[in-house]
This record gives sequence, structure tokens and C-alpha cells, in this order.
Amino acid sequence: MNFGQGKKESLFGSVDMVALLLYLLLVTIGVVAVFSASWVEDSENFFSFSHNYIKQVVWLGISFGVGVVVMLLDRSLWHKIAYFLYAAAILALLATLAFGRTVNGAKAWFEFGPIRLQTMEFAKIAIALSTARLMSEYGFSIASFRSLVKVALMLIVPLAITYLQNDTGSGLVLCSFIFMLYREGLNKWLCIPIIFIGTLFLLSFLYSPISLLVALILVFTISECFANRNFKHSTIYLALLFGGSTLLFLLLNSIPAIEVSYYAVLLSTTLLSMIGVCVYAYRTRLRNIFIMVSLFVVSVMITPTSNAMFNIMKPHQQDRIKTFLGITDDASLNYNVRQSKIAIGSGGMFGKGYLQGSHIRYGLVPEKHTDFIFCTIGEEFGFMGAIVVLILLLAFIFRLMRMGDNQRETFGRVYCYIVASILLFHTLINVGMTIGIVPVMGIPLPLISYGGSSLLAFSIMIFIAFAFDAQTTRELPTYSRF
Amino acid sequence: MREGGLSPRAVVARIIVVLIFAILGLRLGYIQLIDDRYEKLADNNYLRNVVLYPPRGEIYDRNGELLAQNRLCYDVSIVRKDMPKSGFDTTRVSELVGMSREALIKKIKQSPYRRESRLTRYPIAVEQKLLLDEMNIGGFYTSQRTVRQYPRKIGGNLLGSINEVTKAKIEKDNSYSVGDYIGMEGLELAYEDVLRGEKGLVLQDIYAPQSERNTIIKEPVAGKSIICTIDAELQQLAEELMEGKVGAVVAIEPSTGEILTMVSSPTFNPDELVIGKERGNNYAKEINNPRMPLWNRAVKSRYPPGSTFKLVTGLIGMQESVLRPHYQYSCNMGYHLGGEHIGCHEHPSPLALNYAIATSCNAYFCYVFRNILENKQKYAIAKDGFEVWRDYVLSFGFGRKLDSDFLGEGAGYVPTREFYDKRYHKSWNALTILSLSIGQGELGCTPLQMANLAAIVANRGYYYIPHIVREIEGQDSLDTRFYQKQYTKVDTKHFEHIVNGMWRGVNKDGTCQGAYLKGFDVCGKTGTAQNSKGEDHSTFISFAPRNNPKIAIAVYVEHGGFGAEMAVPIASLIEEKYLTDTICRPALMEYVKKKKIAYPMYRKKKN
Repeated sequence: MNFGQGKKESLFGSVDMVALLLYLLLVTIGVVAVFSASWVEDSENFFSFSHNYIKQVVWLGISFGVGVVVMLLDRSLWHKIAYFLYAAAILALLATLAFGRTVNGAKAWFEFGPIRLQTMEFAKIAIALSTARLMSEYGFSIASFRSLVKVALMLIVPLAITYLQNDTGSGLVLCSFIFMLYREGLNKWLCIPIIFIGTLFLLSFLYSPISLLVALILVFTISECFANRNFKHSTIYLALLFGGSTLLFLLLNSIPAIEVSYYAVLLSTTLLSMIGVCVYAYRTRLRNIFIMVSLFVVSVMITPTSNAMFNIMKPHQQDRIKTFLGITDDASLNYNVRQSKIAIGSGGMFGKGYLQGSHIRYGLVPEKHTDFIFCTIGEEFGFMGAIVVLILLLAFIFRLMRMGDNQRETFGRVYCYIVASILLFHTLINVGMTIGIVPVMGIPLPLISYGGSSLLAFSIMIFIAFAFDAQTTRELPTYSRF
Repeated sequence: MREGGLSPRAVVARIIVVLIFAILGLRLGYIQLIDDRYEKLADNNYLRNVVLYPPRGEIYDRNGELLAQNRLCYDVSIVRKDMPKSGFDTTRVSELVGMSREALIKKIKQSPYRRESRLTRYPIAVEQKLLLDEMNIGGFYTSQRTVRQYPRKIGGNLLGSINEVTKAKIEKDNSYSVGDYIGMEGLELAYEDVLRGEKGLVLQDIYAPQSERNTIIKEPVAGKSIICTIDAELQQLAEELMEGKVGAVVAIEPSTGEILTMVSSPTFNPDELVIGKERGNNYAKEINNPRMPLWNRAVKSRYPPGSTFKLVTGLIGMQESVLRPHYQYSCNMGYHLGGEHIGCHEHPSPLALNYAIATSCNAYFCYVFRNILENKQKYAIAKDGFEVWRDYVLSFGFGRKLDSDFLGEGAGYVPTREFYDKRYHKSWNALTILSLSIGQGELGCTPLQMANLAAIVANRGYYYIPHIVREIEGQDSLDTRFYQKQYTKVDTKHFEHIVNGMWRGVNKDGTCQGAYLKGFDVCGKTGTAQNSKGEDHSTFISFAPRNNPKIAIAVYVEHGGFGAEMAVPIASLIEEKYLTDTICRPALMEYVKKKKIAYPMYRKKKN
């Protein structure tokens, strides 16, 4: 394979200037926000290296320098060393697990003097590259089960290690690859169930089994009915199912010795009715009903077992999810999110003004310059500021997706989409947790949160995508991407 | 490469991204623009509600002397978050706040991280606070309070004490909150509403306590001072005289009902129960004292009034027209009828009313009592007579609360017809309960009620409800009930005969000649109450002078022997002090002060 058609002499001429500008805007906002979050009024030495904002500026310089170097490298290099990097990343993760330093309960850090690096930040680059390479290999087919298993294995190994490191939050980033896989043409019948079951898992903590069961029956019947346009049969089915189980329920409970819950009756009748539904599907040749039936049965099984699965999680993870779902009243668990919501919520439309955020100033928001940096923006610049940052991130992600779509080979496209997926995931989780719609996971807001290793890793990852984009010769004739 | 257009999947992928950002943006808009809850919460987060405690009202005696005043002190609270990471001199701090270093470290470790919590349950003195300020340690805050201080260290039970309000009280009355002080017992409890004042509130910026951003929401209102009816010097004398004896002294100004002195002995030093480090230990010490210094005998104990009650028997007899002052009864060392026998001491016989009072003849009043109850012309049976008798007794303030302003007042006890029906299975008559006539039997009176009886006789037939407070700052008058004459059911014309007897008892040939004060026509009646526990109780009620009485007094010394033995000299010395402002009998005073009575019955029971 020859990836080297790019004109190196006009490297910066062919770089996506919009994307570069967005990158620079985001990191600048990051430094500004970190300054606000860590500025102390009567600090003695403004430029002291001990200040977080000075550190961040230095790291920004390093990141940009490394980024330029990355741009200068030939894109084929990344393709060549992708697997090697993956192996190195796994070794590094294992080494961290063995010798790493524990920060906030996660044994996920390496320390070199004053510099502290989170291994997973860098391992992500290697995993992205190797996944991209795997999916661009000859013979890889998104439709083939074998191929998908390979991808899954490639992701599960680092995910398992982060679980052992007690840093599952960082590892879960790899779940975002589903977004890239979707773009690559993953069967929607694989995408939808995964997301569906994930959602159901969360809902099962919130709602009683009976209401979930009824909701499931309705959702499945209605979607089946829209998919196959058999309104009459669906209505009859629903009427028979609920009418029959209600009658059965009354009948059984009228016998003095027997006492059954409506849930049990409805569950058994529904599961029994599946036989009838299958027969119906076979006769009418509506094959999609089979898929729905199996998904439904799996969903129904998941609902009561979610508690058991929940127990596999580490206690602090359980706490975070419980907090998020509002199951626990423990004030200390809620504290971070509560304070964060208060800080953002009190920002109003235009915010309290730069360096005027009382909440941030008084140190009430924990991790205000790292994971909760979005609070600083939300409180001091208000809704307008926060929306601007979100729009910039959205534009940047779009730009990365555009880069991916413009790539002529799978390797580059998959890589760009993985970068977009990771940024999307980080943004969703990080912003989502500060405003209380996602459980707290310790992952930073890309390019904005304070943290040298995070900034450097994101920069390298992004600049590789920039390089792929810049080194794609635009003048070449277009051809169908699929 | 736009020419080829995007694949459908790429389009859907973009829609998904936009949807995700839309969710974030909408939620953001909701909490920032629509829901204003968070703005309010934000303020609560860095503004600290600092309670400004008002100084408690001070208590003065009737002559304007301070009985209870305020001393400035400081509560210490901590916020662990603000403490220096490098640590601080815990030894020094522990000395200043008066706890052990280990306890201090433990306390800090257990304190909430961000929330302010009190370091100690008691405040520290000003000097310690200033020293603590000098150390300038982060995370330590002080807030101003006041606690009591007692210049004369008298009137423990009278004044009561102050302590932190209990959880139960907070639940009942939400104007209190944790950490507030509240009056316990005595005056502090009775006039809590007047004395406590109103708390103020300031919204203080936690991080800039002195800044101008602090807004005072409410200024504290100092508690109102009260002038009480007590005469401090008299109170002190009475307490000293009662030292070593168990009992009570109550002195009332008959013309107003004002309580001049109220001593419950043994008493305690009110300074010991001031909120502070030692309060707990001192309280435990007092509560475990078998002589029960915290029990206010003056208003709570039920004592048999003994012979002092003969005054009431005589008065009722006259009102019921079964007794004329010139009626004579004979006494042969007591009253004998059937199996009943009530003894008496040796004295001339037969005798008329005034001498019967003066020499305290038991038999005389047994006759009177029987005549009251067995008045066939009026009452079919003695039980009906008894009920009439009981009504009279209650009109003298016995067997019920006097409705004074002093909380915790006991009612004493006057038995009822039902009580005797039950006890004697309905078969009883005047003879069965004959000992009531001389203030024995089931009768129980508080020393306050006995002093009130002295005041009634002094006033010739009425009393003002005894009260402890004379004037409240900012109020023109007290409750109207304290200005109304309370008449007994006995006509005022009968009282002079009783007064004659009481005068004779002191000034001529009676039992209480020890109470004689030249030029003051002291009137008095002794009592020697038999009891099952030991030596007789010694009691004496008296007023002086005979005309325009200035003071009415009741002294009760448990197991003090004859009335004349202990109670008379104590009452007499107090009257002398009050009427002449000097003591002309220093030797007697020293003797009484030093006299200690043995109380085997109060010894701690060994388990």
C-alpha cells in the first residue's frame, strides 16, 4: 500500500484550516477556563510554574510541538506500526496495573518526576490505530461475524485491564467505537439491541418490573405493527394478551390457596404467547418478527437480572450509578453533581463574568479545573458561553467526521471516525455529568480540561487525523467510497 | 469529494451527533435559564447563616442589686476543609479549648469536611478566644455568646440555671434551634420568654467574614431584664442560716404578695451550673447528692404543717360558729376519747382560744375540729362536714397550686372524702381523721403555702398571690392576678382573735418566745410535726409587726426537733434583719449558722 502521495512541501497549505482553528479555539478556551478555575486573588507570583494555568500553557506548547512533528511524519508510518503500538499499549497498561500510581482510587497513572501520565490516554491512540488497521485489512468484512469478533477482542482486552485498574470510566471510552462501527455499516440489528439493552439496564433500576414489562410489550408490539403494517392483528394480539392475563389473574386469585402477582401472570402469558407469535410470523413470512421476539425475550430476561449484573460493578461505580438514578440519598455521593449543577445553573444566560463565579472561587465544585471544568464555563460565561463551547466541540467533531468521509481508504476513514467517536463520548459523558444527566465518570472534557497528559494525548490523536487529511491528495479523482 | 454525496450511514451518524448535542444543550438551557432553583442554592452555598445570640436579660433583686448577670464567651466551631494541610499546634489549641489533645484530634477527624460544626458543647472564655485568634489557624471560627455569672452566688434553686435546649423542646417549639440556651428550672425557666430575647441573623460570606457583603437579616434583640422581689441580703442570710439543715424558708411581703426570700436547703452555688466544661460534672454531683439540692423544697415538698395548721382549724371553727374565742376546753395531757389519743404537753387547763394558740394545745383543736365536722344542725354526717372543712382549707391556698409565677410549684395535698372512703372502706368519722386538726395525718403543705398562711393572717383574711418578679423591663405592670386580693372563706372579723393568740405566743407565755423582737410585736406559731422517718420536723410561721405587717415568713427545718428549737431562731433572725437591717444577736446567729443536723435518712443507700 502506498499512502505517500501527499505533497509534503505544502503540508500546512493542505491542512484543514477550519479544523486547526477550532482546535486552537478549544485549547485557548481551556487555558482561559483553567486560569479562572485555579486563579487565586492574592497569589504572589503570577507566572510561577506552580500555577495550573502556567502548567497548562506549557503543556499546550509541548502538545502543539508534538502535533507539528506528527504532521511531518508520513501517514504510512502509522499504518505500519499500528499493531506494534497496540502491543506496546497493552504492555504499558499491564505495567501500570502492576507498578502504577493510584490517583483517586484508580491505579492508572505513571509518574516520571513531576509529570504524571494516565496510560489509557495514550493507549487510546494505539487502540484507535490498530482498530483502524484491523478494519482496513484485506478480507475484513463488517458483515462477517469473525471480523467483528476480532474487533471486539481488540477492545475487550484493554477494557478488562482498565476494569482491573479501577478506572473503568476511561476504558468505557472504547464503547464509543460502536458509533464508528455504525458508520462503517454494522448491521443495525446489532447496533439497536446493544443500545436498547444498555438503556433497559439503566431503566430497570428506576421502574418496577411490571411497568417495564408492560412498556416492553407495548414498544415491541407497536414497532412490529409499524414495521409490518398489520394494525389489526397487533391490536387483537394486545387485547388478547392483556385481557387473557387479567382474566387469568382474577381467576387464579379467586382460588383461596393461590396468590400470584399480576407481573407473574403477565410474564408467563406473554412468554407463552411468543409461540403463537412465532407461528404467526412463520405463516405470514414476516421474518423481522423473529428478531423482535428474540430481542424481547432477552430484554425480559435482563430486567430482573440487572440487579445481579449490577453487583459485578465496583462499589464506587455502583454508588455513582445509584446517585445518578436518584436511588441513594447519600449527600456525600450527590455532592459533586449537586454542586456542579448549582454552579452551572446559577450562571444564567450570560454568566457571572470572568473570574466572578462565586461557586468556583470558593472551591465548592470539586475537580473544578479537571473533570468539572465545564462548571467554570457554565458559571462564569452562562448559557451563551457553554453553548458556544458545545457548538465548537460539535463543529470540531463534524470536521473530524468530514475528514473521515473524505479519506479514500478504510484505514484513514475508520481512524478519523474513531477520533470523532472518542471526542463525542468524552463530551457527552463529561458535560452530561456536570449537568446531571449521566453518572459521574472521571473522564476529562477533551482539549479543555486541565491535565497535561490528556491534552497531549488528545493533540497527538487529533494531529494524526489532521495529517491523514492533509496528506490525502485532493486533486485525485473521486470514486465511490463503498 | 463532496460530489459523491455522503453515504446514508454518514448522514445518520451526523444526526446522532446533533441529537446528542441537542440533548446537552437543552438540558443546559433548562438548568441555566428556566430552573431558578440553582441560583438560590448557589447563594446558600457560600453564605453562612451566622446566628447573632442576644444577651440574656439580667436579673436584679428588689433593691437593684444584680443577682444574675452575663459574661461574654465564645463558641468555637470548625470547618475541616479550611484547616491548614500542614497541621497546627494541636497541643496549644487543646489547652485553649479545654479538651485533651487526643479528644481534639478525634473530634476534628470526625467532623464533617465542608460543613461547619461545633468543636465543643461549651463556650470558651474571652481570654482563650483572643489567644486562639492570635494563633490565626484556618478553619477555626468563633461566635459570640453569653453565659451567666452570679455576683452573690446565691439563689441556686430560685434562679435556676441555663443549659442547651434539648431536642425534644426544639421539636415542640420551633423558635429554638440546636445550640440555643434555655432556662432550666426557677426564674430562668419561668421568665424564659422575657429573658431570652430574640436571635439575630447575619448572612456572612464564609470566605470574607468581615466584608461589607455581609447582610444583617435581623438584628438580635436583647432579653429584657427583670427585677425580682427577692431581697438579696435577706436571701443570703437565710441561706447561711439554713446551712447544714435540710428544709426551706419562704418570706413574703403580706401587703403585696412579693416573695422576699425563698431558700431551699441544701442549696447550691449557681456558678457551678453555668454552661461550661464543668457543668456536666457539677450537675452530676448535685443530682447524686442524697440531700437533693436540686429539688426546690420551698415550692415542691409536701410537709405536714404541724401545729401551724391550728390557726386554720381555729378560723374555720369560728366561721362555722362552733367556736367562740372565749370557749374553753380542758386538756389532760392530750385528747382522749374511746381508743383515740392525741397527746399534748403540760400546760394550764382549761384554756381559751388565744392561750390555746400561744401554748399550742392539741386537745383544744381536736375539740374544735370535731365540732366542725360533727355539727348535726348543719351536716347529716361527719363526712359532709369534712367536705365543708376541706373547702375552707383550700380557700387558704392549701392542696392546690397558688398560681404563682414560679413554675414547678407543687400543690401540696389535702385529702379528699374519696381518699378516706377508699382507705377506711367508707367507715370513718371525725375521730378517724382527728390528727388533721393539728396539721398531721395526710396533710401536705409546701413552705410557700405556709408562708402564704402567715401572710393571710397578717392581712387579716386575704392574700395576694405570692410572686417572684416585681418588674419586667418595658412592662408597666405584671399580670393582673397579682394585684387582686384573694379572700379566704373565713370572715375577716375572726382573724384578730388568732392574731391575739399568735402575739401572745411570742410576747407573753407561748411556745415561741424566742422570736421576740423589741418594738415589733412579732406574731408567730410554732409547729412540731411528727413523722415516721426520725426526729420531728421543726417549723414556724410568723409575721411582724402585728399592725401593718412588713414580713410574713415560714421556716421549715426537717427533723429539727421542736418548732422553737430550730425554726424560731432562724425566722426571728431573718425578721430582725429585714425589719431593722441589723442583727443584734450575733451569738445566736453564729450558733444557728453552725448548727448542723444529722440526717441519717438522707444517707446514700448502699446497694
